[in-house]
Amino acid sequence: MNKDYILGVFKDEESLVSAFGKVKEKGVLPLEVYTPYPVHEILEGMGNKTRITHAAFFYGLFAAIGILSFLTYAASISWPLNYGGKPFNSFPSFIVVTIVATILSITILTLLTFSIRSKVFPGKVPEIYHERATDDRFVMVIDKKSMGLNTEAINSIITEYGEIE
Amino acid sequence: MYNSEVRGRLITGDKSLGQISEEIIAPIHAKTPVWWYFAILVGLIMFGIGGYSIFLTLTKGIGMWGVNNSVAWGWAIINFVWWIGIGHAGTAFSIFLLILRQKWRTAINRAAEAMTVVAVICASLFPLMHMGRPWLFFYIFPYPNTRGPLWVNFNSPLFWDFVAISAYFLISASFWYFGMLPDFATIRDTAKSKIKKAVYGVFAFGWTGSSREWLRFEGLSFILGGIAAVLVVSVHSIVSTDFAVSVEVGWHTTIFPPYFVVGAIFSGFAMVLTLVVTMRGLYKMNDFITDSHIDAVCRVLIFISLIMGTAYLTEIFIAWYSGSEYEMYMFFHNRLFGEYSFQFWAMFVSNAVIPQLFWFKGMRRRMWVVFVISIIINIGMWFERFNIVVTSLSRDYLPSSWVSYSPSLVEIGFFVGTLGIFVTGVLLFFRFVPMIAISELKSVAKFDKPRNENLKHNDHE
Repeated sequence: MNKDYILGVFKDEESLVSAFGKVKEKGVLPLEVYTPYPVHEILEGMGNKTRITHAAFFYGLFAAIGILSFLTYAASISWPLNYGGKPFNSFPSFIVVTIVATILSITILTLLTFSIRSKVFPGKVPEIYHERATDDRFVMVIDKKSMGLNTEAINSIITEYGEIE
Repeated sequence: MYNSEVRGRLITGDKSLGQISEEIIAPIHAKTPVWWYFAILVGLIMFGIGGYSIFLTLTKGIGMWGVNNSVAWGWAIINFVWWIGIGHAGTAFSIFLLILRQKWRTAINRAAEAMTVVAVICASLFPLMHMGRPWLFFYIFPYPNTRGPLWVNFNSPLFWDFVAISAYFLISASFWYFGMLPDFATIRDTAKSKIKKAVYGVFAFGWTGSSREWLRFEGLSFILGGIAAVLVVSVHSIVSTDFAVSVEVGWHTTIFPPYFVVGAIFSGFAMVLTLVVTMRGLYKMNDFITDSHIDAVCRVLIFISLIMGTAYLTEIFIAWYSGSEYEMYMFFHNRLFGEYSFQFWAMFVSNAVIPQLFWFKGMRRRMWVVFVISIIINIGMWFERFNIVVTSLSRDYLPSSWVSYSPSLVEIGFFVGTLGIFVTGVLLFFRFVPMIAISELKSVAKFDKPRNENLKHNDHE
């Protein structure tokens, strides 16, 4: 293999988590870990944080304010119409549309954010390290340079729990 | 922590992760069975009948339907409410059961979500055609125009309904699709043929399963799950306000929103049951959709059926308790014993009485019984909508405007057409999409193995 990285391939979640912990103890953080389903120990251990939930909150906040203001503006300032003597600014009945349209805005904007930030979009050519990482293998990609003096130790950790490919 | 000793195994047959993906993807890689072509032909013929009915409606007008001045809402609205109700199962399954931490939902939610998307498409056709001039449907969007009153009436439940249904469709479709990305990636990586690899590769949006993707994916499902939970309640509440805000006897009641929401979930769960029993039968998915999954849905149905029974009796009781002679007439003369009493009793028996058979374990374990009862519930829920729409409209306050209603062939054909869309959609789903959420199922597979108990919750939560 030509590359400047090694692949640790594990058969189950438990082996991956144990090996991941030991590799981290050696002060080496894998470049990336590929799993068939989310493994929380890895998500936490990789040290990445996502602010997608915060983003969603602000989308919702601005969408709600925007939609409610639009409804109020349209119904009571732009073109007030008398519907059976009800007040022009009938705030309670605007709530329904505000809630539903806010949820729609949050969904669409959060999906876009997800798509952009995780670089998951139509037509993307994936960088596949191991064909079975979406099937039944848990794959750890480690940069050879980052291993430095620990190369031996890390190799033995990986072979203890899985295989090097 | 899920305890498989108490709640039963989620996946039977001691499958490895590889076997899980292989067995669920098998129908996609396998040769298309003959019955599939036959079934899709039937679906397309039904669709054709619907297409012709829509053509007649468009070219000749709403006069082709059996509706009249008094009963202005006929089969179209009945079918609309019925389909939307069925469409509720998707969110109920993926969101409510997610919040309630019911891990067995992982085997069923994909099918429920697919059903939702198709059912909402079927539903939306009815109000669209009922507009009479559907090519002007965009008048309902609030946009600056030169037509007179500049904006639509934001106080109208019909406008709310439009917003709610279109939002529900977009949200459930995107929730469904994004949930499938990891599974499409699995198909891409396991496929042998180049065409399949390329096609599913496009569908997979370049998903690789890296920790960065999963991290945001979890955040995304968390957010979408949390906010879409509102939709389970809001969509059908809004549909019910179409009725409840009008001063019509039998409609003008405060029980309508909860009654409609529960009814919707009832019919949705019943249709899910129809679908997964079919899936089990046709594709041998018994190891993933186990007897205990079916059992769980049946138990939920008993509970909802009791609520439905209570709601029916409450309506009748309140009609008497209100002392209003119109209400008394509507319920005690018209609905219980009037021209459409058959529809009332059909509704009552199939929704409140027959599902009680699920109290017996023997019934819940016999798949053909479950299948038949699920169909009966769907028919019963259709009669419920008929009962609500037609009995109230056909007997107005003014006896001079009392009329009978029966559907015309065009209306029936239109309904058959939407059934055709549903059958076709479901068959395409069976053939080209993983029927069960593979990655979610893998994430709960470990709960069946006691030695993994010290691991954290690692499923999609």
